[in-house]
Amino acid sequence: MVLELQKPRPIWQIMFSTHHTDVGLLYLIMSLGFLFLGGTLALAIRAELFLPGAQIITDSMTFNRIFTVHGTTLIFLFILPFASAVGNYYVPIMVRYKDMAYPKLNAIAFWMIPPSGALIWLGFADFTWYATPPYSVISAPGPAADMWIFGLKILGISSVLGAINFIVTILKCKHPDMSIGQVPLLAWSFLSSSLIILVAIPTFAAALLMLLTDRLGVSGFFNPAMGGDPIAYAHLFWFTFHPEVYVLVIPAIGMMYEIIPRFSRKPIYSYNSGIFAFVLLSIVGFSSWAHHMFATGMSFTEKTVFMIGTLAAVPASAMHVFNFIATMWNGRIKFSTPMMWSVGGIALFFGAGAGGVVNSAMPLDFSTHDTYWVVGHFHLFVMGTIAFGSIGFLYYMFPYVTGRMYNEAMGKVHFFLSFIGTILVFFTQHVLGLYGMPRRVFDYPPIPEWIAMNQIATIGAMIIGVSMAVFLYNIIYSSGKGELANTDDPFGLGGKYYFPFEAKNPSH
Amino acid sequence: MRGLIGKMGGHSNWPEWIYVGIVIALMTWVGAEAWEAERLVEHVPEDAETIIVTGQQWFWTFEHEDGTVEMNDLHVEVGKAYKFEIVATDVIHSFNIHDYVVLMDAVPGRVNTVWFAPDAPGVHDIQCREYCGLIHYNMRGTLYVEEPSS
Amino acid sequence: MKGIVGLFLVLAVLVLVPAVESALAAGDEPGEYLDRRVVIWNLFFRMMTVMFTVGAVVSGTMIWLVWRFRESHPKAKPTAYEGTDW
Repeated sequence: MVLELQKPRPIWQIMFSTHHTDVGLLYLIMSLGFLFLGGTLALAIRAELFLPGAQIITDSMTFNRIFTVHGTTLIFLFILPFASAVGNYYVPIMVRYKDMAYPKLNAIAFWMIPPSGALIWLGFADFTWYATPPYSVISAPGPAADMWIFGLKILGISSVLGAINFIVTILKCKHPDMSIGQVPLLAWSFLSSSLIILVAIPTFAAALLMLLTDRLGVSGFFNPAMGGDPIAYAHLFWFTFHPEVYVLVIPAIGMMYEIIPRFSRKPIYSYNSGIFAFVLLSIVGFSSWAHHMFATGMSFTEKTVFMIGTLAAVPASAMHVFNFIATMWNGRIKFSTPMMWSVGGIALFFGAGAGGVVNSAMPLDFSTHDTYWVVGHFHLFVMGTIAFGSIGFLYYMFPYVTGRMYNEAMGKVHFFLSFIGTILVFFTQHVLGLYGMPRRVFDYPPIPEWIAMNQIATIGAMIIGVSMAVFLYNIIYSSGKGELANTDDPFGLGGKYYFPFEAKNPSH
Repeated sequence: MRGLIGKMGGHSNWPEWIYVGIVIALMTWVGAEAWEAERLVEHVPEDAETIIVTGQQWFWTFEHEDGTVEMNDLHVEVGKAYKFEIVATDVIHSFNIHDYVVLMDAVPGRVNTVWFAPDAPGVHDIQCREYCGLIHYNMRGTLYVEEPSS
Repeated sequence: MKGIVGLFLVLAVLVLVPAVESALAAGDEPGEYLDRRVVIWNLFFRMMTVMFTVGAVVSGTMIWLVWRFRESHPKAKPTAYEGTDW
């Protein structure tokens, strides 16, 4: 399969292939491309907020477009496709099948993403990643907004197709000798996140259609001037996108479940509690969506229900942390780059979770809602936990994909700089939120505390930027010129790896 | 992989159950405390004066009970309770006096209420905390808390 | 083990009963202007105290784990699974 640079093939053979590792490679390269594009926008945002007043971005409309595309890109075009890349490489091998269940569908699901990425980037909409009506209906300039809607629509279809493929592969194509209770946790994570996608996405797909017809003026679902209710959109949106948070985080946890036992040289402490926590999380994840809307004028009862629903997700997440700690206990841990990223990710996972508990405690929402606290909180999740798990897994896959080792020293520099940067940016943003700075602002009044904390956050972001430059150099250089990896045991750990090489499909 | 699972178990599950129990107890405590605090702050005093707050792109209008209308500036008196009835005319805004932890969305087609009782004279910022477009960042006002006039 | 369960049940009841009681007792006095800043920030700081305590325990455990069970630690010894095909 891979080892592309050692046995070069014409690029069109990869592009038109339906083999799971080829599709996985396409997903991988595309998601990394969007990681760097979206990250560049993040640096632009931080540079702009370094001081009050206009710095490098001259007007607020451009700024609003930048943070909208930044969020959309990193969530839908980096994190989700990256998880699909990992799933494509590993799920068929873990269930011992020759390919995904529907190879052509798999390729179609991938090829829907580049056009939607193009729609999002060429449009550059400004209505935030959550497209709030009535702003998005009556005020957001087209055609950018409409392009965004179509882009997300295509992405939604692509996720659903991918999810169906994973579910069928895991449930129907696993080796008959293997019961579902023996499927590795990484594959279980894809099973649970795919089930969430199937249940959650159609709601948003419907909401997007209604948003589009509202924008065309033929309906008024969310337009109060035509008798609609903007809060209905918020419900539909968050019914999809709060579970979507778990769609993002569960595969990242699954990747840690692959790395941590491997590098601790011990099996996972409790396989069953891992499965239990995945399944529980994917069910309980549906009971918390409206905690995003406590300030929209919900009744006391509604708020209580959704607060309890939110808190109920905590024990399941905490079980994963317990499992990781118990696995590392008494191990002989090799701190190669992938392990560092995973352990760093777990450490930050606690901070992110604690911030989430505070958000969901009803009255505290008055001080944190829509401030930089929220920005810090969810970035700690998506960057500190999900991206850390994903990047760690990328280093883990690297020798399998390229046949060469990445540069370990550069990998560690990447980790330490990113870890420090993440703490500087996102913990500071929590405090900034407590001082009341609203999110999604182009400019802010010169309040000394706000300026100081924005500057710390910007410096942290620049540190992350430097670390990502090291990362980019490392993967490009090492995939061509790196040391050849010992493909039986690239990390010197002993034991048996899941080995994508062995999955070579004879018909390809 | 089968070997991995085969060697599972063989350890006590009690540490995990106790741990989960502690997490659940903590979350119960968080929920109970939050519920109680929310109950306290949602209880609007009966003699609270109503101020109608209107959010529109990109300024705030305040209408007092006596009919005075102010734009972006809001004057209130120490020792009185005020109930804000918050509405919007175009898109969703969010009315926020951060120093008094007052926050409520202004949603077109709805009337949301929130109340507060200023306790000391002073000047505080009013801002919009929900994204509302081009000049969202500068949709700001000022709250003047004054000594009682009478 | 039953003893431990019993102990935790008793502890849980000891915590829950006063919490529920205070929740049901307070709140409905009209005419008294309570200061929402005090209520909300008090809640916030109480929670932060607990969160930071728990956070210190969790991250302290992790830092100790990472320090103690690294392979270069003098007392590191191979796990039971090394050298097998687990």
